[in-house]
Amino acid sequence: MRRLSRAGIGFGLAVALPLSAAWGGAAGAEELPRAVVIGTEGAFPPWNITRPDGTLIGFEPDLLQILCQRANLRCQLVAQDWDGMIGALQAHKIDVIADALQITPARKAVLAFSLPYAITTGVFVTQKDSPLARMDNRGLVLDLDASPTPERQTQALAALREELRGKTLGVAISSTYDAFLDKYLADVITVKSYRTMGERDLDLLSGRIDLTLDDTTYLRPLLAAPDAQDLVLVGPELIGGELGAGEGFGLRKDDTALAERLNAAIRSAVEDGTVRRLSLKWFKADATPTLEAHPGAAAGRPQP
Amino acid sequence: MGEHLTFIGSVTAQLVRAVPVTLLILAVSGVCATVLATGLTVLSVARSPLPRLIQRTWTFLFRGTPLILQIFMIYYGFAMVPWIRHGMLWAAFRDPVFCTCLAMTCCCSAYIAEIFRGALAAVPRGEIEAGRACGMTGFMLLRRVIAPSLIRIALPSYSNEIIMMTKSTSLASTITVLDITGVAQQVIAHSYRTLDVFCAAAALYLLINAGLSALLAALERRLDVDRAVPSISVPPVVEPLS
Amino acid sequence: MDDLTLLGFGPDGWAPLLLKGCLLTLAVSAASMAIGTVLGVLLAWARLKGPRWLRRTALVYGVVLRGVPELLVILLLYFGLPSLILSLAETFGWDAPGLPPPFLVGSLSVGLVSAAYQAEIFRGGVGAIPKGQFEAARAMGFGDLLCFHRIVLPQVARVVLPALGNVWQFNLKDSALIAVTGLSELMRTSLVAAGSTRHPFLFFGVAMALYLVLTTLSSTAFHYGGRYSNRWNRG
Repeated sequence: MRRLSRAGIGFGLAVALPLSAAWGGAAGAEELPRAVVIGTEGAFPPWNITRPDGTLIGFEPDLLQILCQRANLRCQLVAQDWDGMIGALQAHKIDVIADALQITPARKAVLAFSLPYAITTGVFVTQKDSPLARMDNRGLVLDLDASPTPERQTQALAALREELRGKTLGVAISSTYDAFLDKYLADVITVKSYRTMGERDLDLLSGRIDLTLDDTTYLRPLLAAPDAQDLVLVGPELIGGELGAGEGFGLRKDDTALAERLNAAIRSAVEDGTVRRLSLKWFKADATPTLEAHPGAAAGRPQP
Repeated sequence: MGEHLTFIGSVTAQLVRAVPVTLLILAVSGVCATVLATGLTVLSVARSPLPRLIQRTWTFLFRGTPLILQIFMIYYGFAMVPWIRHGMLWAAFRDPVFCTCLAMTCCCSAYIAEIFRGALAAVPRGEIEAGRACGMTGFMLLRRVIAPSLIRIALPSYSNEIIMMTKSTSLASTITVLDITGVAQQVIAHSYRTLDVFCAAAALYLLINAGLSALLAALERRLDVDRAVPSISVPPVVEPLS
Repeated sequence: MDDLTLLGFGPDGWAPLLLKGCLLTLAVSAASMAIGTVLGVLLAWARLKGPRWLRRTALVYGVVLRGVPELLVILLLYFGLPSLILSLAETFGWDAPGLPPPFLVGSLSVGLVSAAYQAEIFRGGVGAIPKGQFEAARAMGFGDLLCFHRIVLPQVARVVLPALGNVWQFNLKDSALIAVTGLSELMRTSLVAAGSTRHPFLFFGVAMALYLVLTTLSSTAFHYGGRYSNRWNRG
């Protein structure tokens, strides 16, 4: 326990310092820990947040601290803008992307993924006095890979299209939802793209856009904020298909050794409740993934 | 190669459809900024200190801060002010095109007013005295003597400012307006062909600017008294002295 | 949360980040000014003394970079440069190089635009020197370098300094556009603060005040710089 807390302090400084001093003791006698550089955005609360003093906190830094120890890795967490993240991975500047990266078919073309360490849904939020506040299928988890049943899915998607017809939906630019919106809604709604989620939120609050679609872990804490009392969660919760099969670490396709080590650590953290504990702490909801359900996400080997 | 050309063609067609938005912003804010700048110029030569202070503060505020910040202030900042958000003005402030035009009017009027002020100072004293000697006062002096000289002197710098404004209209894309730059970014988000799209957009801006430059240069030539062939006789002053 | 807490130095205060943003804005502006001056001098030289094809190139450069929106130049470099580097690396079989850092991309793009304007200023500055002085220098046996150092530089510096002051002000304000690349300079920091606290009026107001401080301070500095370079001319 004491080693853990020392590591915690070290992790806070990880942006500036490699953690050899803090985690040198954790290496064990049989094998030297492998040095791994992990890129995160540091601007995606509550997954990863940069505090004003430059340290990184959030669900992913907390989880990584435990995973790295279990996988016998000497991890260094660095802040890196999302735009350059995949390029930095391919250029070997970083070895792992930890940035709430959804495991989507499009991304699998360029990246390998670890097992999912969390699974979260996409939700709609609108203003309380908007006609959309009475949208149907509230709380229904709509798995685009077909569930609860294909008929129910078709019916719910048709209802969604009718309800949103003519409305303006705001999203953060190049989000996971682009492919979903293009496929199911783009022909009946106006999509407005914002560079940051903050800008989008301001326009949602002022009523310039009718609703937004974003991750539940981002929107639920927003709804709890005192100045966002006019907002309300509506409609179905979306998952699967274009929206991905949970969040995983992004890796280079040839780095199978690292993938195996991380996958074992993720499996143990999912099974002993660590993921549940941390997701309750940061998301106020359980985001534990069901690993058996996603054998395809077991990365490490090149995708076809 | 053929596929490449087809892509550039379809992108250009998409971008051309956004040209009216860019031109609308330019026209509205260009006209409003010029009118406002004229008012500011009048304030700057007032005898009492208060109007001059207003003009100076206006110039300081809008020339000392980036236009993009002014646009964000008007678009996002004002939207959180209760009496704008819930008042009559919301219908206007809700619209990002209006917010861009308002910000550009305020900002560019400060620059244009400085151009007018400099030109006013450069109007030859002798011309004004001659006008006075002919019995002109007030508005007639302004219309017949000061304004023609002022416009001629100010026109080159004013043309420059209009070109700057054309470029500034691209900032509208940062607050969700689908002008040329906005559409370009939208296309890139779907096609990832950065270079082609941005080069097509740049070419459109260059074309617009070339057109405007030619127009303003023609105006300059027309107003150039030294080169113009006198085609009309100088009208005599026949108005009665007031 | 009240405004003073948000603007303070406490754990929820944005003051440290805003001040850091100011420094980064100054750094980006200074870097782009330097890039612009070096490239601007080269362009001015190309326009004045270069061979025909170079003169044409410099002319086209000036027309394009002064006619295309700065925002477009920044976006083009920001999105286009990485793919250009990668395809170059593929063509020549290099190892994949790292991505250019946002700071470099930002100052380069503002610097490229700045160079187009500075070239015009330098060209005008050299044009303002009487031809006789060059002839006199040649008659005294001055080489090109000596001529530049003793004749051109001191006089051009005096003539162009006020104009460069203007370019600096433009650079300072253009640097705000780099915010779109995610570099945490002053504009971006105020935008992030406005978005995450949902107090846009407060933070954009503070950012405007900070920009006013930066522009006022630097125009004062250029004013005194101008007086210094004019010190021989006062008599």
